[in-house]
Amino acid sequence: MTKWTDLQSASFLESNARDRALGLVDEGSFTEFCGPMDRRPSPHLGVLGDAVEYDDGVVTGVGRIGETPVFVISQEGRFIGGAVGEVHGAKIVNTVRLAIEMLDAMVAKNPDTPEAHKPIVVFSFETGGVRLHEANAGLLAHAEFMDQVQKARGKVPVIAVIGSKVGCFGGMGFVAAAMDAIVMSEFGRLGLTGPEVIEQEMGREEFDSSDRGLVFRTTGAKHKYIMGDCNFLVKDSVAAFRAQIADLAVLPIADFEAMRRIGSEAAVDKQLALVALAVELQPKDSLDVWAHAGNEAPAELNDAPYEEFIAKAQRLAV
Amino acid sequence: MLQTKVNRSWENAKQDTAQRMEAASRFIGNGKQVKHEDTVALLEAVIRPYDIVNIEGNNQKQADFLAECLNKVDRGKIHDLHMVQSAVPLKAHLDLFENGIAKKLDFAFGGPQAGRVAEFIRDGKLELGAIHTYLELFGRYFLDLTPKVSLICAYKADRKGNLYTGFNTEDTPTIVEATKFRQGIVIAQVNEIVDELPRVDIPADWIDAVIESPRPFFLEPLFTRDPALVTDTQILLGMMCLKGIYGPYGVKRLNHGIGFLSTAIELMLPTYGEELGLKGKICTHMILNPHPTMIPAIESGWVETIHCFGGELGMDEYVASRPDIFFTGPDGTLRSNRAFAQTAGHYALDMFIGGTLQIDKYGNSSTATANRVAGFGGAPNMGCDAKGRRHVTESWLKCGQELPNREAIQGDMPRGRRLVVQGVETFGEGRAPVFVDKLDAWKLAENANLDLPPVMIYGDDLTHIVTEEGIAYLSRCPDLESRMAAIRGVAGYTEIGLQAKPEETKRLREAGIIMTPEDLGIDRSRANRSLLAAKNMQDLVTWSGGLYNPPARFRNW
Repeated sequence: MTKWTDLQSASFLESNARDRALGLVDEGSFTEFCGPMDRRPSPHLGVLGDAVEYDDGVVTGVGRIGETPVFVISQEGRFIGGAVGEVHGAKIVNTVRLAIEMLDAMVAKNPDTPEAHKPIVVFSFETGGVRLHEANAGLLAHAEFMDQVQKARGKVPVIAVIGSKVGCFGGMGFVAAAMDAIVMSEFGRLGLTGPEVIEQEMGREEFDSSDRGLVFRTTGAKHKYIMGDCNFLVKDSVAAFRAQIADLAVLPIADFEAMRRIGSEAAVDKQLALVALAVELQPKDSLDVWAHAGNEAPAELNDAPYEEFIAKAQRLAV
Repeated sequence: MLQTKVNRSWENAKQDTAQRMEAASRFIGNGKQVKHEDTVALLEAVIRPYDIVNIEGNNQKQADFLAECLNKVDRGKIHDLHMVQSAVPLKAHLDLFENGIAKKLDFAFGGPQAGRVAEFIRDGKLELGAIHTYLELFGRYFLDLTPKVSLICAYKADRKGNLYTGFNTEDTPTIVEATKFRQGIVIAQVNEIVDELPRVDIPADWIDAVIESPRPFFLEPLFTRDPALVTDTQILLGMMCLKGIYGPYGVKRLNHGIGFLSTAIELMLPTYGEELGLKGKICTHMILNPHPTMIPAIESGWVETIHCFGGELGMDEYVASRPDIFFTGPDGTLRSNRAFAQTAGHYALDMFIGGTLQIDKYGNSSTATANRVAGFGGAPNMGCDAKGRRHVTESWLKCGQELPNREAIQGDMPRGRRLVVQGVETFGEGRAPVFVDKLDAWKLAENANLDLPPVMIYGDDLTHIVTEEGIAYLSRCPDLESRMAAIRGVAGYTEIGLQAKPEETKRLREAGIIMTPEDLGIDRSRANRSLLAAKNMQDLVTWSGGLYNPPARFRNW
């Protein structure tokens, strides 16, 4: 197993699910729930003659950052593209449930529990959404997870972390958007319909999924950051993600309301204003919107390294 | 005394060309320029039924506008053409046969149209001359397949008709030389016509007409491999190649193809290769397209020289900034040349390393599938032991001396031998077994009425097979039976591999004919992406100091 200290400098993009889970919390503090030793593979894949994994493609558990208990969910894209099946779904749903139960128990015992002692949930996405082999169970898990996010609201911050190869697409794109805060590296991608599916449905003229530059300009983190779809853009290292989570871990829960994308009248108004802007602007490329946001040389900004991008990027105000 | 002197004109070809050019003269203006709207009429004027015609295009640059125009000619006037060309990757190339304009084809590489080639042969729409290697076909341009009309492509022409082919010179000089010096007609499509060229690659008096194409020619970034897609298994294979082959044989002069195994090896030279102390001892002279994944090795001082078959999109500025390494012109830009690179590839390499879809129990390998006539481009020229070679290098000598019973076969005369290596995972794409009892090439030969199954590399030319199970040193096998046993021993859980007998494999390991990663002292747990000097496209840009400009479709930003 990779040493924790080596994990910190490792590329988040290059790290597998377990390394991400271990590296996002303090050294030696991670306890895995329902890990591979518990041998709970998908009951459906075997029947279909497909390969299974004993953790069903997701690492769940709890660790600490400083004094904060951190419930971690980390998906593995190399197993069926990180798709959500029945066991995978049960693991992610119940991890949030356990975090809420922990908070309730803490507060019942000590109503003055300091913010820094209260648990948070961190979800490292790498998924295309529902696993088609077990689609009903997968879809149900999406709904149950959304339900847990609603239950956690105002109690336990639920933070999305996106910087892995597959990105975060399909139903899980909705799930991420429903969470309190989203942290991405520049290699992270977030969306609903994946690029290949858009091309298949709408034609190559509409969206050329083999044009990775276009794909990244449309679904990639730099664009999401300018649009406000993601709250924080960090460097591609486990340590950088961890540092951002550590900052968020000590915030009062009320602070997360302002970071949310949905769930308030103000958020709805903002969405409607964005739709109106899209109609008015008729952008042909995301860079058109960047220019509208006040970025004078959007193409150069897109090519700029992280530090320069963060220093210069103007985010869209609506 | 016999009277054998014939009474004939010796200038028929010249007069024929003159007549055709006369018919075309009304379309040709100053500087040999033809308006692109007149292209179809020009082709109808200069081409006659049954002509041998070449459309330039290999696996990278394509005279695509001229190919499309040739499809629009009146088939009452032009039919039964005999196409001789490196490759037929464009739809338009095969449409010619569908439209009845062309009848016969001699080529080297099928690419995306390989399925249609097979189908058309079966349906009688296409008469196949032969599938060649590039060098073979180029040779025949100067022997029995000389084009009467060649449709070529270049970046720029000047106002006299001189051409600049620059970075992607590739096949152009070969085609033009064969055509023009046998009184043929050469028509060029260019991206733009300018006052002054960076340099002259093809002189104007070898060109008959120049057309400014309505759009730039199609260029495929075929040799760009994204480091992000290299897998841990490919890295394990790469470690075995470096430690078990490159190092021990001292492989200095070699070619790398487009497989991800070569990508892994290129990206591990500055890391694992350095650790093994191989810098300066391997990979100093290379014949390859400017692979972006070579940048880290070049930048860390591994490579002395690279000659290129063709160019690669986005590498122009990097290559122009490293003239000590690449062959560049007085203007500073690369000049690639497929014929010369293939010549070096055939005669002067220490080693060829590649991949394949299938290897049979004897070691024959082929990328042919039952319904695609794809051809092998240049691979067979490099993936063989060049019998005409006479110069000696360390690895060539060493490999030649390995045959244990060489005196029984060759007598007392010492010989050298090229290393020909296939690196494959035992199960390939779609979990298809790579090791098979019989190649699909046999079925293809039947389906497409070919005289022989198309084999990329013959078993007796193959010296090494590398799989995740280990390396089979076929060069150390005295006979066919022991070669087959060595192949079985590295074929894993394929049907062929399951026939291996454990005690026999053990004996082969003891004899050094099979080496597993453990036998080579390789720790499998180290075989992961942390060994790659660049892990994504952006890392390559950084290594290049910003000189590499990846095509948009490869950017992960």
